[in-house]
Amino acid sequence: MVGLAYDCLANPLGAVRSTFEKAIASGSDPASFDGRDWGAVDLFRHFLFEDDGLTQVPILNSATIRWVQPNTLVRFRGMIQDMLGNEFYVGAYKDGSVWRTNKFTDVPQFPMDTSPDMRLWERRMLYCIPVPGQNSWTESPSEAVMYRSMNSATQQREKRQRLDVEATDNMDCNVSDEGVECSPAKKLKEDGHLQSQESITEGTSSSVIMGPDVNRDSLPCLIKIYDCPESDLKLNEVFEFVGVFTFDPEFKVDKDECDDFTNGFSEDVLVHFPPNKVPRLHCFIHRKLAVHDFLPRSPTLEPKPHLVKEIREALLRHLTAILGNDGVAAHFMLLHLLSTVYSRVETVAVGKLSLNLTCFSKESVPVFGTPLRLAMKNLLPFTQCISLTVDYLNTASLAPRKDYETNRLITGALQLAEGSHLIFDETHLEAGTLNSVGVENARVLKTLMELQKVEYDFKFYKLDMAADVKMLILSEGKSNILPADIVLPFHPSSVGSAEVAAEALEAWRWYLATLRSLPHSIEPEMQKVIENDLVAARQEDRKLGTQDFSRLLTMGRLMSMSFGETSLSLEHWQMVKELERLRKERLK
Amino acid sequence: MKDLDFGPDKVHAKDFLSNFIDCSGEPKYMRILQEVANRKFRAIQIDLEDLFSYRELDEEFLSRVTENTRRYIGIFADAIDELMPEPTEAFTDDDHDILMTQRSDDGPENMDGPDPHQKMPPEIKRYFEVYIRASSKGRPFTIREVKASYIGQLVRISGIVTRCSDVKPLMQVAVYTCEECGFEIYQEVTARVFMPLFECPSRRCITNRTKGNLILQLRASKFLKFQEAKIQELSEHVPKGHIPRTMTVHFRGELTRKVAPGDVVELSGIFLPIPYTGYRAMRAGLVADTYLEAMSITHHKKRYEEYELVGDEEEQIVRLADDGDIYNKLARSLAPEIYGHEDIKKALLLLLVGAPHRKLKDGMKIRGDLHICLMGDPGVAKSQLLKHIINVAPRGVYTTGKGSSGVGLTAAVQKDPVTNEMVLEGGALVLADMGICAIDEFDKMDELDRTAIHEVMEQQTVSIAKAGITTSLNARTAVLAAANPAWGRYDLRRTPAENINLPPALLSRFDLLWLILDRADMDSDLEMARHVVYVHQNKESPALGFTPLEPSVLRAYISAARRLSPSVPRELEEYIASAYSSIRQEEAKSNAPHSYTTVRTLLSILRISAALARLRFSETVAQSDVDEALRLMQMSKFSLYSDDRQKSGLDAISDIYSILRDEAARTDKLDVSYAHALNWISRKGYSEAQLKECLEEYAALNVWQINPLTFDIRFIDA
Repeated sequence: MVGLAYDCLANPLGAVRSTFEKAIASGSDPASFDGRDWGAVDLFRHFLFEDDGLTQVPILNSATIRWVQPNTLVRFRGMIQDMLGNEFYVGAYKDGSVWRTNKFTDVPQFPMDTSPDMRLWERRMLYCIPVPGQNSWTESPSEAVMYRSMNSATQQREKRQRLDVEATDNMDCNVSDEGVECSPAKKLKEDGHLQSQESITEGTSSSVIMGPDVNRDSLPCLIKIYDCPESDLKLNEVFEFVGVFTFDPEFKVDKDECDDFTNGFSEDVLVHFPPNKVPRLHCFIHRKLAVHDFLPRSPTLEPKPHLVKEIREALLRHLTAILGNDGVAAHFMLLHLLSTVYSRVETVAVGKLSLNLTCFSKESVPVFGTPLRLAMKNLLPFTQCISLTVDYLNTASLAPRKDYETNRLITGALQLAEGSHLIFDETHLEAGTLNSVGVENARVLKTLMELQKVEYDFKFYKLDMAADVKMLILSEGKSNILPADIVLPFHPSSVGSAEVAAEALEAWRWYLATLRSLPHSIEPEMQKVIENDLVAARQEDRKLGTQDFSRLLTMGRLMSMSFGETSLSLEHWQMVKELERLRKERLK
Repeated sequence: MKDLDFGPDKVHAKDFLSNFIDCSGEPKYMRILQEVANRKFRAIQIDLEDLFSYRELDEEFLSRVTENTRRYIGIFADAIDELMPEPTEAFTDDDHDILMTQRSDDGPENMDGPDPHQKMPPEIKRYFEVYIRASSKGRPFTIREVKASYIGQLVRISGIVTRCSDVKPLMQVAVYTCEECGFEIYQEVTARVFMPLFECPSRRCITNRTKGNLILQLRASKFLKFQEAKIQELSEHVPKGHIPRTMTVHFRGELTRKVAPGDVVELSGIFLPIPYTGYRAMRAGLVADTYLEAMSITHHKKRYEEYELVGDEEEQIVRLADDGDIYNKLARSLAPEIYGHEDIKKALLLLLVGAPHRKLKDGMKIRGDLHICLMGDPGVAKSQLLKHIINVAPRGVYTTGKGSSGVGLTAAVQKDPVTNEMVLEGGALVLADMGICAIDEFDKMDELDRTAIHEVMEQQTVSIAKAGITTSLNARTAVLAAANPAWGRYDLRRTPAENINLPPALLSRFDLLWLILDRADMDSDLEMARHVVYVHQNKESPALGFTPLEPSVLRAYISAARRLSPSVPRELEEYIASAYSSIRQEEAKSNAPHSYTTVRTLLSILRISAALARLRFSETVAQSDVDEALRLMQMSKFSLYSDDRQKSGLDAISDIYSILRDEAARTDKLDVSYAHALNWISRKGYSEAQLKECLEEYAALNVWQINPLTFDIRFIDA
């Protein structure tokens, strides 16, 4: 590429315009650009992936928004929380005799008269939030440093102040950032979508030991998507969007005027997502992120057998130490951490493996639960803890629901990205009465546990959304609200300390992120062995059902996976059976 | 200026309106116009289908109407103005008419020049409203499918109403009077907002430079009823992993107050943009909101009786009916993902079909709905079957015996918190009137509901005598119950009566009581293990070996079958009577009966047979129907009998032999035809394969001879 007339990073709209003019000059009809690209996206794709421009693009979050300039190229990593439908805009229009385009921008570059030569195009609006429960290690500090200095610290001071308030409002009130106090009045002023986020954090903060992650990035973003098939982007999926950033801190909504037009149906996007609170991103390119995209350095290691085995041993030792020298629990924990829903057959989610560690008490939770929670946070990218109490069940909104007043999907604690990890602490649960909300919540939790599905409440009907959430339950006895796949009495023998080297942590993260996507198969001879074993087991114990069979097979798969192997061997199957035997023994 | 272009189209419109003849040979639109002239109603609905079938019209006119509908509504209105006949009936003048006559009286003298504000706009004179309705052929759009390219066009959309605003007046023509010159000034309003006039634009005021003050005359102005609503995509139209889309709909005039939140509707209307005005236009610059200007509303009906066959369904049903195996095919298509249980599915299919209700001359009613109770060990997919049936049935309510609401299953009298009046609130059974009520955990039902259910199941009404309200509500519902045995699992050491923890009075009301036992059996265990391994290995279910019919086809077929009302021919009466008496005798012989056979059982046989005849689209019940009914009754206890036989040391083969021998002895014949033999043994719950095995085995022992071609049996009398 020689002599670019524009800077893709600082002036992406210039690039858009120049490609548009070029396309028009070459004789294309502007009407034909409806729903397709004229070369602008290709240009950016080339810039980002072939000229290695991606790393130069700043990531938009509550820290960087203070100095990122509007109308520049940014990227945003987040989960699609809501879909706001389509927006119609004047895509191309004739300004005198020249065709102009408004694609990838909110405000026209040139004043626009109502001319007969207007092309109405549409774009999709997605409301994205940072992935719930995202842990701080997923954002490497090195990335934050690389930005070109923008020399904008002084002129943006005012904005910074405002953002700080916003950021702290969303988090726990006890934590104040840069000395900004959190006032209740401020809270009331917040919009509906912010309140809904608060409900999550409030919910999780009901337990003292399992407070919310205060480092959580809480900047939402309104993404506008152009020309791509609907099926590409689904709810709750995690994406990286690269596009033009627009943000208008000076914007004020004129209340009176709005009321005139909306006639009581105040669903307008401008009202609910004022541009001074929610930044916009006009997306050029989006790509789906998997868990390993969140590893700070992505070492494209080959899963070599001896290396994998070493990491496995080390991780197992670490888990054993955390779990008070309970080796059986550590084995189950490892399988649990590797589990993922890899297929859905009818209603059954194949591959889930939820774990219920029993024999916890209020006293032992701080001793073992807290280190366990920390370990999860360090190992997995998205983790959350919920302390179950009668009060929590009666008040929390777990399943997302549609608010028709604002036409928004109000998020719930169970709107989670694929691969999230949830710890439920049931030790604080005491006898009490559940109201209708509580009963509904208990049902929602049970469905999630059994089918890996969350019913989103659309008032007139419910829609099932598939989920892939790993769930770990700590309880005194077997949990009945959350019937887990594996119930294991926890038998610690010592209090372990968990000092870990950063290097080891990285290896483990890589191990957990990579191995779960390995292919897996069962050879025909092995199938025979398994079938016979299962039948024999059922002849012995009539209570075994399809779920138990399914669980054993899942464990077999995870066991062989944990060794980095792609087909189940007899040895690993024996290990599964042995683990199961040990577990049965404990249950007696 | 633009009217010039549309001149020919107005002629087209006039020609169509005055000359269109509908299928009954009447001038449809002229008749409507006459009614409108007589002030019978306001709405004139122009069907695009009529326009389509009108021969003299060119295709282009039709496509112009669909693509620029709003403009053409105006053209049709103009055409109607010219065509409007004189009223043939007298009606009382209202304010509006008095005003109009006044206006036309003093019109000429006030007219000074072609001032657009002083010319009376045609809108104000019109008593009618014009709607153009989209053709109801083909599938309506989902909201998702309406794209920018459809702007300005007539579209048909299905969805669910989520919000409705109040009905408000919307000004259509504003009328002012000038303080100075006294003229009436008209201003047509086309948008939601308008800028009122303040200065009199009449020539007299302008020449006199008086700047006459204008006063808005609310009574003289023309208003239109206006309602705004939101519709949302139906759940079945939302792709996986997406959020339902919504759309704003505007209802005007006669179409207001037709919908309420929760209604499933099909709308036809014009998809239009609202450009932002004023301040917001500057801000938002490029964005336009869109809405649907409603033209017609169709509510979706969900009952069999009102089920309308769409598209090629009629043809499909005929094709299915010709297929000999329809009974099996339909049954297998119920809950295809649940493995096995074929006979239960057949019974459930018959429950969906039902038998015709009978009303005797003396006013007694005999129910036609079939009641079925599934009783079985935990984990035999009872609840899943129930839920699936509810999904297939057009009207179904799923509840558990311990249904949490205070209303319970039947009905309750409750105090309205606002008015303090006593109101009746129907429970699940009342809500399922003319449908199916699935009750899970039937055994754990409230004692009060259980007594009430007796009435529901036989008389099909719910009687209430509480708080000064005595009434009976209809509950013509088929009850599908699922229950666990008394000790959770079926205990084979105890008698059936002990296991089935329901009073005989209730049990006898079920046409079929199906026992599903989870038996320890190597084969089924292996089958289960194989299934699970297969699912894990291949990430899909094993192939079903057939393609199940879509629920919609099932529904259509069943609704077609339900229109028949088959009768029992005289020659079959004897057959049924003897079958019934033999069941009674068998029960009397047994010391531990598995069933309570009463007169109700006889009615059940008739009902099941009638349902089977309906499935065949036959008006008369055949003997094969009765045999199948008896077989199903036998099969319902099958899992128990197979155990009895084991105890008595008889295997299936020898049992078949003894059945055949007994039957031959009873009829005092040595020849038994194969068809007869199959009939007898299938009634006892054996399969054809077992019969063949038996035939071969005993033929080898020289007990009987088998005809090699017809398989007829001849006993060798020793």
